[in-house]
Amino acid sequence: MKKMLLMFSMLCVILFCAYPSGASSAEVTVSAAISLKNAFEEIGKLYEAKYAKTKVLFSFGASGDLVRQIAGGAPVDVFASAAQKDMDDMSSKGMVLPGTRADFAKNSVVLVAPKNGKIKSFEDLATEGIKRIAAGNPKTVPAGRYAAEVFDYYKLTPAIKDKLIYAENVRQVLDYVARGEVDAGVVYATDAAVRSTEVSVAADAPESSHKPVVYPIAVVKGTKNEAAAKAFIDAVLSKEGIAILKKYGFLIP
Amino acid sequence: MDSSVLFSLRLSLQVAFAATVLIIVIGLPIAYLLARKNFPGKELLDISLTLPLVLPPTVTGYYLIIAFGRNGFIGKYLYEWLDWSIMFTWYAAVLASFVVALPLMIKTGRAALESVDSNLINAAYTLGHSEWETALKVTLPLAKRGLLAGIVLSFARALGEFGATLMLAGNIPGKTDTMPLAIYSLSASGDQEQAAGMVVLLTLVATLFLYLANRYSRRIF
Amino acid sequence: MGLSVCVNKQLKGFSLNVSWAIGDELAVLFGFSGSGKSLTLQLIAGLMKPDSGVIKANGTIYFDGERHVNATPQQRSLGYVFQDLALFPHMTVRQNILFGAKGVPENERSERYRELTETFYVAAFENKRPSEISGGQKQRVAFARALMRRPDVLLLDEPFSALDTPLRIEMRAFLKDLRKTFQVPVVLVTHDAGEAASLADSIIVYSEGSVIQSGLMTEVFNNPVDERVKRLLAGQEDTLRPFCKRH
Repeated sequence: MKKMLLMFSMLCVILFCAYPSGASSAEVTVSAAISLKNAFEEIGKLYEAKYAKTKVLFSFGASGDLVRQIAGGAPVDVFASAAQKDMDDMSSKGMVLPGTRADFAKNSVVLVAPKNGKIKSFEDLATEGIKRIAAGNPKTVPAGRYAAEVFDYYKLTPAIKDKLIYAENVRQVLDYVARGEVDAGVVYATDAAVRSTEVSVAADAPESSHKPVVYPIAVVKGTKNEAAAKAFIDAVLSKEGIAILKKYGFLIP
Repeated sequence: MDSSVLFSLRLSLQVAFAATVLIIVIGLPIAYLLARKNFPGKELLDISLTLPLVLPPTVTGYYLIIAFGRNGFIGKYLYEWLDWSIMFTWYAAVLASFVVALPLMIKTGRAALESVDSNLINAAYTLGHSEWETALKVTLPLAKRGLLAGIVLSFARALGEFGATLMLAGNIPGKTDTMPLAIYSLSASGDQEQAAGMVVLLTLVATLFLYLANRYSRRIF
Repeated sequence: MGLSVCVNKQLKGFSLNVSWAIGDELAVLFGFSGSGKSLTLQLIAGLMKPDSGVIKANGTIYFDGERHVNATPQQRSLGYVFQDLALFPHMTVRQNILFGAKGVPENERSERYRELTETFYVAAFENKRPSEISGGQKQRVAFARALMRRPDVLLLDEPFSALDTPLRIEMRAFLKDLRKTFQVPVVLVTHDAGEAASLADSIIVYSEGSVIQSGLMTEVFNNPVDERVKRLLAGQEDTLRPFCKRH
């Protein structure tokens, strides 16, 4: 018994010593809409290469969830959302550092289906053969709001109401479609590109069917790393940053 | 009270009851086998059935999706033959709750059944009663207390199941939003008041059930 | 009427090899705890399986290693009284006794029940639970239950060892009466020399898994085959080798 206790405490000591002792380098925390995941991770590497002493920590999720977390006190330095609305919410709560807000990317909304899906247009959503449609939860997911707008535009909402499966963020919508759990889903064109081998784009939503998808970015008020945060935004807006965004299919405003 | 709140409550109770029935029907015989029989692979069976107890519910949910999703190794046959997938239905919620709460029934049930004095069981055999009759008339009645505890624990766990349920059944208002899921949604979208209301309601229901279960178990002993 | 037993069983660190036979009598398996007496009873009852040998009761073969015969405990017509009596705590005395009536035709059931409960004086508390009756009363209930099916043999595993002396003496008289009323061979396991002396028609002396002497009680008592048996009957012990005769 004593021997076990001794071994256990030794193990604890070793584990604690092996744990890398806190950041000797500075850190900047970026909360961004999940549709920006691939592009931002690459921009993050670009940023760390240029500013070797600063590490970038990402938190990706539905823009609405991220706003709630920041409002709840999460120590975030930079916020980028998939819709103006979420940034407006932040602004009205006084959480945006004045003068740092900028629009940096645009996206388009598409209808996707599993690779061998039978759907060809938004109107097809109302047909018998389509039983399940995935979209983001409009309460927290911008892509879900855009989807709702597109459904209204095509006057599909009452017909498809019972077929809707709400997901917690746009990448989950994409996942449901890729795995064949649903017959169709509404995501951004950039998301469809990321899993192009597993999903096919059935239709593009016309620009007039939804609010323009414009991504804003800003420094969060109260940040302890203002310089590093501003530098990250600079990286996003830089020539290289723009090239990366374009690579993943984003349009530049 | 909001009709959606009532729906969630009714759904939660429905799912928990269904899962508990399945747990009794499937878990009890398994607990008996583990308690009183020896066979190759016995401990492996016990361990694999206990896994959901130590794995995070999301991991369990992940495995269930691999098995029962539309392209899952069981799900794809269901879809081929019946044109039906369990995902996003309330049956998925029952499945998630069942898998996650089953270990509780098995562990508690096994312990209760093992604790029955072997002499009593042997006596029943020497008096001419088959193993099946002895199980029904001697072993199970004597293990009643532990078995009931297992059932209560399983029900409680099923009522509160969230992670695996979210992954399998999704959170579809009016279809699969059990109380825990509905509370999460409301809280996530800032609806703290409604969320708080549901929390209180669920707590009351759970308390009521546990109280009744305790009273009943005291009476039959 | 009779029981013949020839069994070999190897357990971890213990080897049982015995062979004996009894007729319509009260035979005592006598020896120290751990010498294999209770194990023998379990093998006779079918609760454990011998490695080899033959067990026959009243001409019926319960076990034959060579011919692969092994009747289940349920199929053997035996009455067994366990050391701790094994009365079902969740049943009344009445239910306990009736539990032993499995296979008894409906019309005979209540008749036998009445007969046994009257003979053993347990009718008065038939609706009580085992926890509510005394040690001696529990004993009699256990016997009544074991006799409901009119078994070919009665196996008793140190049933009186937990009783205090006055009660033990009372139970010895009870057992003698029982033999008179119900002619059924009895195998009684005990390590109490006084009990053996008082009850046995014949005695089978066990030591470390083997029988070192057997015969009528008077013979063995007066002619212990060796020092060990003498000391056993007086109270000490030793070891040995075995063999198995087919009867």
